[in-house]
This record gives sequence, C-alpha cells and structure tokens, in this order.
Amino acid sequence: MDNLFQIFNMGLLQNTLRTSTPVILCAMGGLLTEQAGIMNIGMDGMIVAGAFVAVAASYFLASATMGVLMAVLCGIVIGLFFALFVVKLKSDEFIIGMALNTFAGALTVYLLRSIFDVKGTFSDEGIHSLPTVHLDFLEKIPFIGTLLNNNSLFVYISWIMVLLTWFFLYRTPYGFWLRASGEHPESLETAGINPKKMKLLASVLCGVMCGFAGAHLSLGYLTMFTEGMHNSRGFTAFACVIFGMANPPKVFFAAILFGFCEALGLRLQNVGVPSNLAGIVPYLATILMLIYITVSTKNKKKLKAKKQLKNNI
Amino acid sequence: MNKILSSFNKNKTYLIMLILSVVVALILGAILMLVTGYNPVEGYSAMLEGAFGTPRMIGNTLAKMLTLCLTALGMAVAAQAGMFNVGGEGQLFLGGLAATVTGVYLQGVSPIIALPLAFISAMVVGGFYAFIPAWLRVKINVSEVITTIMLNSIAILVCKWLTNSGGWLITDDKGVLGGTEAIPEALAFSKLVDRSNLSTAILYGAVIAFLCWYFMKKTSIGLEMKVTGENQRFAFFSGLKKDKIMIGSMIASGAICGLVGMFEVYGYQGRFMDSISNEFYYDGMLVAMIVKYNPIGIMIMSFFFAIINVGASYMELRVGISGELSDIIFAIIIFLMAAEGGITKIWTNFQNKKAAKKLESSKEDKING
Repeated sequence: MDNLFQIFNMGLLQNTLRTSTPVILCAMGGLLTEQAGIMNIGMDGMIVAGAFVAVAASYFLASATMGVLMAVLCGIVIGLFFALFVVKLKSDEFIIGMALNTFAGALTVYLLRSIFDVKGTFSDEGIHSLPTVHLDFLEKIPFIGTLLNNNSLFVYISWIMVLLTWFFLYRTPYGFWLRASGEHPESLETAGINPKKMKLLASVLCGVMCGFAGAHLSLGYLTMFTEGMHNSRGFTAFACVIFGMANPPKVFFAAILFGFCEALGLRLQNVGVPSNLAGIVPYLATILMLIYITVSTKNKKKLKAKKQLKNNI
Repeated sequence: MNKILSSFNKNKTYLIMLILSVVVALILGAILMLVTGYNPVEGYSAMLEGAFGTPRMIGNTLAKMLTLCLTALGMAVAAQAGMFNVGGEGQLFLGGLAATVTGVYLQGVSPIIALPLAFISAMVVGGFYAFIPAWLRVKINVSEVITTIMLNSIAILVCKWLTNSGGWLITDDKGVLGGTEAIPEALAFSKLVDRSNLSTAILYGAVIAFLCWYFMKKTSIGLEMKVTGENQRFAFFSGLKKDKIMIGSMIASGAICGLVGMFEVYGYQGRFMDSISNEFYYDGMLVAMIVKYNPIGIMIMSFFFAIINVGASYMELRVGISGELSDIIFAIIIFLMAAEGGITKIWTNFQNKKAAKKLESSKEDKING
C-alpha cells in the first residue's frame, strides 16, 4: 500500500501536466496537418529544431521571450520548407517527414558542436528559462490549487492552444476550408479556394506549434539542449492525433493520457522498477491505445450499420 | 547490353537528377562547413582519406556498406509490398541479442550446428518482431508506421535492461558495461582485413542481397508484392492474397534486420552491446528511399553512403567537423530525390514556356520585318 501511495500521489499528476505539454502543443499542430490531408511524421524534426533555436536565441539574445519568438520563426520556416516539398513539389510525405527528422536532428548536433563547441548537452547559466506562473487566487483552492499553480508558462499556453485550435477549425471559414482541403480538395477548388494554400497554412501552423513545443522542452521543461531530447515526442504526438481522430479535445485527452503514462514510468523507478523497463510504459501504452481506438471505431461503425439496417426493415 | 542501354534511357532523367542532387548536397555541405568556419577542401579530403586511406579503413567502409545495404534491403522488401517498416532498429537489436544468446548457450557445440541455429534464431526473432505490427496493420488496420516506431523504443529499452546491471544477461567480464557474455571464438566470423570491421559476414550479406534482388525482380512473388504495394484494391480483385503478401514481406524485412544485428555481433563486436547500432536502420531507410527501393540501386548507393559515413567519423577526429555532416548530406539528397518528379516537371514547364516565347518572338519578328 505504501508503494501505491508512492506512485499515485500529487507528484504524479503534476508530472503528467509537465510531460504532456510538449505533446499537446505538437499534437495540435499535427492535427491541423492531418485535417489538411497531410501525414506529417516530420514533427520530431520540427520540435528538435525549435528546441535548439530557442536555446541558442535565449543564450545570445539574453531573453526567454526572444528564444520563444525565434523558435516560432524557425517553426514557420520549417513549415514553409515542408510545404514546399509536400504541397508544391508533391513529394512523398513519409519520405520528406523522415528526411526532415534526420536533417533537423543532424543539423542541430552539428551546430551544437560548431557554435557552442560541446557534444551531447549544452547547458549554461546564460540560458534564460521561461518563468513559472503563480496565481494567487488558485492558492485558496485545496487540491486543484496546488496542482494548477506554479507550472511553466507553456502548460497554460498549451491549454489555450487547444481551445484556439478548436475555434479555428470549427468556427472560422479558414478552418472550414482547411478541413475541406484534406477531405475533398476538388470541391474546395470549385468553391474558388486553392486547397494548396490551405495545406500550406496547415503546415506552417504545425511548424509554429512544434516551435512552441520545442521552446517549452528546452526553456520550460529543462533549461538546456540535449541531443535527442525530443525523445520521439513528435511520433507520440502523431499517435495522439490518430488516437484522437484529429479532433482537438480528443487529441488533448490522448496527450494527457500519454503524459500520465510517461509520468507513471518515471514514478515506477522510485519503487524499484528498473528505469529501462519503466521507460517502456508510454510506448506500450501508445500501441495499446491505438489498437483500442481502431477496434472500437470499427465496432461503432458496425453497430451503426446494424442499427440502420434494422430501422430500414 | 542493349537491354542495359534501354533501361538507362528510360531512367535517364532520374539518373541525371540523382547525380545532380548528390553534387548539390556535397556543395551545400561545403557551404555549411565554410559558414561554420572550416575548410571544406580539408573536410572532404579527410573524408576520402578516412574511407580509403589504409586497408583497414577500406575494410571498415565495406563493413559499413554491408550494414547499410542489408538494412536498406530490409526496408525495400517491406516497402515493395506497401508496408513501411520503420522498426528495423528494434528488429536489429533483438535479432542480435537472440543470436548472441544462442551462441553463448551453445558454447562448445560444433559451429556446423551452432552457426545455423544462430542464424535461425536471429531471423525468427527479428521476423516475429516485425510480424506484430504487420498483423496489427493487416487485421485491424493500425498504422504500422507508428507501431514500429514505438516497438523500436521498446526493443532498445528491453535490451538495455537485460544487459545492464540488474538484468538477466549481464557479463562478469571486466571493463564491459552494458554487454552480454562474449560468443565463443569458434563461432565468430573470421576477419577479412586485419583489425578492421570487415569479416566474412560480407559473403553472407552478398548472398542475402542476391536473394533479395532475385525475389523482388525475377520471381512472381516479387511482382505480386509490387502489385500489392502499388494498389491494394487491384491486388485484391486480381485474386492475390494481399494480407499474406504484406505480412510475409514484413517478416522477411524483420528477418533481414535481425541478421544485420547478428552480423554486428558475430562480425566484429564479439558480444551483444546495448549500443550495438547507432540508428543504422534509419540510414538504411534513407538509402532505400533515395533509389526508390531498387535492389541494384541500393547496393550502389549504400557504397556511396558508406564512404561518406565512415569518412565523416574520421573527419570528426581529424579536422574537428562534426560527423553528423554525413546525415545532413544524406537528408539533402533525399529531399531533392523525393522532389525529383516535381522539380523535373517545373523544369520542363519552364523549358516549354521559354520555347513558346521564342516562337512567339520569332513570329513577331517576321511580322515586323
């Protein structure tokens, strides 16, 4: 019982919030491209690039805000780059995504070596990290107060982003066109709107979100840049997008679930489970989640069809 | 000879693009070196020296080529049937581990029996690990891209757990961290070049490569795979057992990757280390993608990549330029090759426009003149 309390406590929930944030941000970008009909597995590269640029900008310009801004700018550039190949030149998304991951991963390590002259990890007192947010009124609420208070800024931004993404997709004409560009580009074209432009918009926005995610990783979650620090979160985000069927609230839920599994893995180490074994938890959970969602949607469809059949008779 | 020439003509634009993108990538790499304050001539000459300087270096290059070629073929076999096996890394780890365990367990048994068993164990384990995502994809339609990526991480973590302190397969040998017991000497492949990584594994590799090429290009199985990969519906309505083909190709892909892991152990490491592969499979994937899963192309391209890869790590020691440069160059080549269709289209459009303008202006000249 003591062990159980060691695993399931306030720290677990707090860790869940911390670990899920980059995935949420990244998944919001991923669902935009998914809605626009692009299978984006290049998010890993986008995050790592964002993380690197954020650290470099924060170090040289001596401000965390500049770090975030530069990461977003970098995200926009990568989004445009991705769109140039996938939308304009009609290349295979899978190949471009994989190449983007390799490219961004290698380039960050190369630049890390040539600019900062370190290998592996760059941490310095000169890196300005993002502030944590402290809200006075939350303090008075007993349980939720301690949970929601004193988190890194991006934890809150990520939740706002979920709302914004939902609003953008379902309440603005641009969102409508963006969804149409993925679902039925021909009819969008008939309506006089270029689906390519919508796809471009989606991939640029995805770049921005991944830039945020990267900045959070290197300036909020940790205050350093480590080779491979993204830890295939881009892929996890992609899995969350599939799991949540590219619907913002559902994807958000999936990302939280993933964050919970990762936090659980971290906690399990405290009670003596080898760290490598505990590390498996989030990956295994992702696979199980995917299996569950595909099976359950299939069953739902079957049930629906059966019902319709009955009604018709 | 005529046949070769005609196939060359057919792929002419493709080949030109390939050469051009390699050149462009090398130039961009040089610019990157210049920008970051290194001398590109020095860098590239160090790269060449690292790949061909001594017999030992040539051996290392060839050994790297073997790894790249086999992983790329593993990718190609699955991709031919429309399955993207991103999980070769995990299959490589587990295959290597299985072969090592078999080898260690069969200490003292004659190599004639033990070696085939090691081969089989590597193939079975690698194949089985690829079978899981393949089955999930075919039966309940879970994207194999994600599951294989996740399975990669799981396999690597399991191997790390087994071979580090507290695991079941740790060794008592001094100075070995994160490794299993060494395989018996009698089982290890003999070296072809002294002190290099090149061993007789390359002969087995050649056989595997030949079989891959033969099955993919010369048999009906290869054609069936290609049809399934290009159009599943068509394959279904042609009466092909597409599920079996997809799962089968994935298992073959996993088995090849498992063998790569075994070759790493039996070829030069001598024991399974948890750092057995440094994302070898991803490099192999890139090679396979560049040449559009063509087996012959893979063999040629993997040689080129091996030169850059082995050369780059020497360059890092010698000139101080990060060895990651090789991956940057690869990625640029892939970007350009993936966009090959689009770029050639834009180019021909541009040419047509130019021709049309010329025609128009010459007409105007006639009218005016």
